Amino acid sequence: MHENIANIENSKRAKKKEHANQSRENRNMAMMMPPRLNPTDSASGPKQHQTWSPYDNNGGTCVAIAGADYCVIAADTRMSTGFSILTRDHSKIFVISETCALASSGFQADISALQKNLDARHQTYQHQHGKQMSCPAMAQLLSNTLYYKRFFPYYAFNVLGGLDDQGKGCVYSYDAVGSYERVGYAAQGSGMQLIMPVLDNQLKSASPLVLPKRETATPLTEAEAVDLVKDTFASAAERDIYTGDGVEIVTINARGIQKQYMELKKD
Amino acid sequence: MSITSYNGSALVAMIGKNCFAIASDRRLGVNFQTIATDYQRIFQIHDRLYIGLSGLGTDVQTLYQRLKFRHKLYQLREERNMRPETFASLVSAMLYEKRFGPYFCEPIIAGLSEENVPFICTTDLIGAKQFSSDFVVSGTASESLYGACESMYKPDLEPEDLFEVISQALLSSVDRDCISGWGGIVYIVTPEQVITKTLKGRTD
Repeated sequence: MHENIANIENSKRAKKKEHANQSRENRNMAMMMPPRLNPTDSASGPKQHQTWSPYDNNGGTCVAIAGADYCVIAADTRMSTGFSILTRDHSKIFVISETCALASSGFQADISALQKNLDARHQTYQHQHGKQMSCPAMAQLLSNTLYYKRFFPYYAFNVLGGLDDQGKGCVYSYDAVGSYERVGYAAQGSGMQLIMPVLDNQLKSASPLVLPKRETATPLTEAEAVDLVKDTFASAAERDIYTGDGVEIVTINARGIQKQYMELKKD
Repeated sequence: MSITSYNGSALVAMIGKNCFAIASDRRLGVNFQTIATDYQRIFQIHDRLYIGLSGLGTDVQTLYQRLKFRHKLYQLREERNMRPETFASLVSAMLYEKRFGPYFCEPIIAGLSEENVPFICTTDLIGAKQFSSDFVVSGTASESLYGACESMYKPDLEPEDLFEVISQALLSSVDRDCISGWGGIVYIVTPEQVITKTLKGRTD
């Protein structure tokens, strides 16, 4: 009996304390908003409506293949959002210099900002040094630029292609925050998983960790590489809804920069 | 980790000239730990009908046992083997029975009809059938398989060429998926015979 009364008293006291705490807490919360849990976390309780995101994915696929004395960089020309197409002829390839081109897929606003940034830095370099940046130098610059925004990244999946200082083809593949590696071939974007196994099958290059060090450039001729790129894009366009409309192919070699365009399925 | 990518799997079936081929990887894992490198995912229902099951290993085995049971009963009652289209409907019906507590399996059915016309079909985990005249894919490596098959497939391939194409497609695709691989097994079924081949692949 006594315990019961004691319990009731305790609970009353507890409730009063709780009430005081609650109002103090509310004031605290108003002053300093705690970081908001992702609504889809299991810890945050019942599912809430998805909040506004600063990012969007405009889709698309980019591919690059490095050869002994050339580099092929290609990207589709479709820009989409959700299940809608925004435009069928948007170029994802940005030619930075005579020996270097950048193909990016992902969030086009961030990509435009990134391209502007790199362009400005490249122009500054040209004024200061009297020459254009080499492709490996641009590769490092791109990595640093991406990591600079490590905690609010550029939603851009990049493939940089061009000729290195010896005139050999080079391709660099990046993640969204700047981790990069020189490879013989790369694909990024929505069709990456569809295209990579095919490129592996045709071009498998040695791992840079295997000794003796082997060439990263592929043994294909330029025409064969361009045909391979066209085939892989045609296949990707069949199965990936975000890839299609057309593919822009840029070839960089000793003669300069050549551009071609191939139609893809529009569905 | 999703329940359908708990064990890891890769399955593909292709149609050739009066024949079909069905292939799978051999790895069974528990998340990232490899447990077996000789796991069977493709089962024979009768000499012209095969079923491959991707997804959760326990459901693969249970579904196969239940389908074998149903087919044996059918053989007793009808005194003949099931046609591939009929079997596909059976699989679809059995999966939909568990609509609100499904088997975590995505089967591929491949068979040769009485008139030696090859038939392939896949269903999702609750039985939605999807027929195809070229190839079907299933498993954790399915996106890679779609890309590889789309590039490499040609219609009306002879059995030897079909074997080459399906093997290259499977091996290239599982090499880009860390939870499937450890080689492969391919069945090429023609009106005269069934050829079984094991593939040696990357053992990681």
